[in-house]
Amino acid sequence: MLKKDLILRSPAEKAIGMENITDGQFGAVVSRAGVGKTSFLVQIAMTQLLSDEKILHISLSDSMEKINVRYDEAYASLVDSIGYVDPQKADSLWESIKTNKVGISYTETTFDVEKIRDYLKSFKDADLSLPSILVIDGLDFDIDQSAILEDLKQINKEFGIFVWLSMQSHREEPLSADGFPVQLENHESLIDKAIFLAPVENKIEAIVLKDGDHTDVKFLLDPATMMPVA
Amino acid sequence: MIKDLKRVRNIGISAHIDSGKTTLTERILFYTDRIHKINEVRGKDGAGAVMDSMELEKERGITIASAATHCEWDNHGVNIIDTPGHVDFTVEVERSLRVLDGAVLILCSVSGVQSQSITVDQQMKRYEVPCIAFVNKCDRSGANPAKVAQQLKDKLGHNSVMMQLPIGLEDKHEGIVDLITMKAYYFEGDNGEKMVEAEIPADMLEDAEMAREEMLDEVSLFSEELTDALLEEGEITPELIKTAVRTGTIARQMTPVFMGSAYKNKAVQPLLNAVVDFLPSPLDINNEAIDLDKDEETVVLESDFDKPTVALAFKLEDGQYGQLTYIRVYQGCINKGDTLINSRDGKKVKAGRLIRMHSNQMEDVDSIPAGHIGAMFGIDCASGDTFVSPQVNYSMIAMNVMEPVISLSIVPKDNKSQINMSKALNRFTKEDPTFKTYVDHETGDTIIQGMGELHLEVYVERMKREYKAEVETGQPRVAYRETITKKAPFNYTHKKQTGGSGQFGRVMGFMEPTEEEFEFVNKVTGGRIPTQYIPACEKGFQASMEKGPSLEFPVTGIKITLEDGAFHAVDSSEMAFQAAARGGFLEAYTKAKPVIMEPIMKVVIETPNEFQGACMGLINQRRGIIQGSQEEGVMSVIESEVPLSEMFGFSTVLRSGTQGKAQFTMEFTSYKQVPQSVAEEIAKKKAEEKAAKNK
Repeated sequence: MLKKDLILRSPAEKAIGMENITDGQFGAVVSRAGVGKTSFLVQIAMTQLLSDEKILHISLSDSMEKINVRYDEAYASLVDSIGYVDPQKADSLWESIKTNKVGISYTETTFDVEKIRDYLKSFKDADLSLPSILVIDGLDFDIDQSAILEDLKQINKEFGIFVWLSMQSHREEPLSADGFPVQLENHESLIDKAIFLAPVENKIEAIVLKDGDHTDVKFLLDPATMMPVA
Repeated sequence: MIKDLKRVRNIGISAHIDSGKTTLTERILFYTDRIHKINEVRGKDGAGAVMDSMELEKERGITIASAATHCEWDNHGVNIIDTPGHVDFTVEVERSLRVLDGAVLILCSVSGVQSQSITVDQQMKRYEVPCIAFVNKCDRSGANPAKVAQQLKDKLGHNSVMMQLPIGLEDKHEGIVDLITMKAYYFEGDNGEKMVEAEIPADMLEDAEMAREEMLDEVSLFSEELTDALLEEGEITPELIKTAVRTGTIARQMTPVFMGSAYKNKAVQPLLNAVVDFLPSPLDINNEAIDLDKDEETVVLESDFDKPTVALAFKLEDGQYGQLTYIRVYQGCINKGDTLINSRDGKKVKAGRLIRMHSNQMEDVDSIPAGHIGAMFGIDCASGDTFVSPQVNYSMIAMNVMEPVISLSIVPKDNKSQINMSKALNRFTKEDPTFKTYVDHETGDTIIQGMGELHLEVYVERMKREYKAEVETGQPRVAYRETITKKAPFNYTHKKQTGGSGQFGRVMGFMEPTEEEFEFVNKVTGGRIPTQYIPACEKGFQASMEKGPSLEFPVTGIKITLEDGAFHAVDSSEMAFQAAARGGFLEAYTKAKPVIMEPIMKVVIETPNEFQGACMGLINQRRGIIQGSQEEGVMSVIESEVPLSEMFGFSTVLRSGTQGKAQFTMEFTSYKQVPQSVAEEIAKKKAEEKAAKNK
């Protein structure tokens, strides 16, 4: 019951709908530096943990400890958004689902899709259920990442894992005719879903740039917690 | 013995395995003039390093037991405890840390803060041991002391402050720049014994000035005088800086970082100066004991030679002349011929021969005063015992000791081995509180228990080498436990009428899960069970927990609430109520959904990056949960939790999966419920064993 309540509070659920989060191959959360891409990605992954799925979070900027802290904080924000929840219940739920998350920290130079493939293979070899999504945070989309995306596409095919990416845009760059930041525009054909985060006064606006029926959904987020504001 | 305690240091050297602590200790002893030949740890000349006193350690190149040694530097007496680096021997590290006033944390300049450094650091935090860091192996390829200092901040949360800069790194490592004196130091002579002071090389001057500024910024937080001098651009004397660093270090608010290469004889002398300058003397540390005569009230011990003596036995060794007991005296003074009381059992002992150790060499002394570490001969005691003067009854606060998680049966090969094995076990159990032994009454086998496979392996080897006891070992066994998951009632009547006086007792109540090992609550009112039988009921319930009814593992985490019952004026007895409690326990236990619990180990693998995926796969295959992975340069660290039962033979598997390039550490974290499928397998195996026994 608590799991369902928490999912309903999620900004990811509000943006694209729970059933839709893993539908396709690639999703992207796009924004300028420091707006909240990682926090939003973590909230996307959190919906999967709350559905008893496994997730794999790869970061090219955060340390392993930092990744874990981000998840702890994201869960706390979700719980707080409900109002009162029995703290013991909330803690025990988190204890039981957080073990389904694996955070791996790479540097830009050592990141290698083959290592992910090796790791995912071991799930198959040990007859274990695979993660439902793979979060890759910190890839530099100012350069052409088509080769990595092609490799990830193979991973998607081989293991049926949806890949969520973060993309950093820049203030001074003009948007494309479709209103896409250039980093998204360059890889647009591969990306099934895209969410843009932009600061608006003292809030953050989440805009669904691409996702079938959900396209153009807009809502505001609290910048401290990244939770939807009423 | 130095009577002025300001000039005494009791220090430990703690580090990850292979960070070079034995080599460093060796160098320290050399420079302090106690030994005149430097041996390599792995013994190129067959002599082996002095601190590693056991054969096995010499062979493996690791330090298993701590040996205390004394040396003198700059008019100060320094007692060094060489602490073991492998996680399986952490009880020894913890025991050593208990008696130390300060420590040198050695880190490898290439691998930096490794998993074991984290464990050791946590232990230092627990015992609030102030420390300075030494970044060793600056001569190695890939050396980067600045990165290691940063890791100390990021990974261990230390406020690390670089006190030196290296002059050259890797094969060009020549010496260091001291940021306090702003001088360069080089180490000349066959063994680097000649410390030559020179001007800072011109190309380093700018960096050195910047680094000094950063250092002063941090250090000034601990001295108003220094802050004032900085603000008013007054004279900043080395003494002023040293006093501030000392204050910050002793308060555990900062960790000064030194560097060099013990193996190449670089910069060990400045480290010794730092030990004297910055680590605390016994007078700087607050030591406490509990007063057993005053309801375990805490008492602060004073390093006063005239007060009643309080000393802690922290290590035992079998020497040529009987048991050698290493002690730290906290208060008073132990003189030759003194009568002391062992506060654990109240036995009187007489301090006979007193010595100060230099690893395997002994030096006779007449007394060991407060603040000093020494050893006594011919005293029968266990490790962790407190010795006091007859006028007080203090005990040093109990040390944190964990329950063993793995067991192994051992069978002596012949009669002689049988006798020697008993001697060895007797010694080991006294030395190491996490090592236990008992005889299984059903099989007649001797069982040894410990904290990991390697922990037991080392003792089996020591039996062979030191005690000539050849033993055959069985398969290692995991210490499973049972517990319940829901509340269940009992209502049991024990009734026997077989001629003579009968037996009658009835117990009613419920059992439920609890975090504690065992709890018993008596809610019986109106004398339904007479008060004198209540302890018998408790005893009956508790006795039932020794073995679960079907799988026969120890049961834990049960709270019994006794609510009601009945008795018979003639037939009720303590025995009858004990039997009733056992019956009640059985009745409720099966209804309370019992489950099997298994020990879960924290496993940390350090592997070259290319094997990261493969190593994570190995964890997956073992019911492990990966908590995360992190790349650090060419190495990856994988943190995980894995059931102990899945870890047997893991070192071989890891070696073959990574061309021998990965290593792992393992320590117990908690007990967790076994998944249903595994529980069924355990039950099946247990049934087969039972059937085999009954044949």
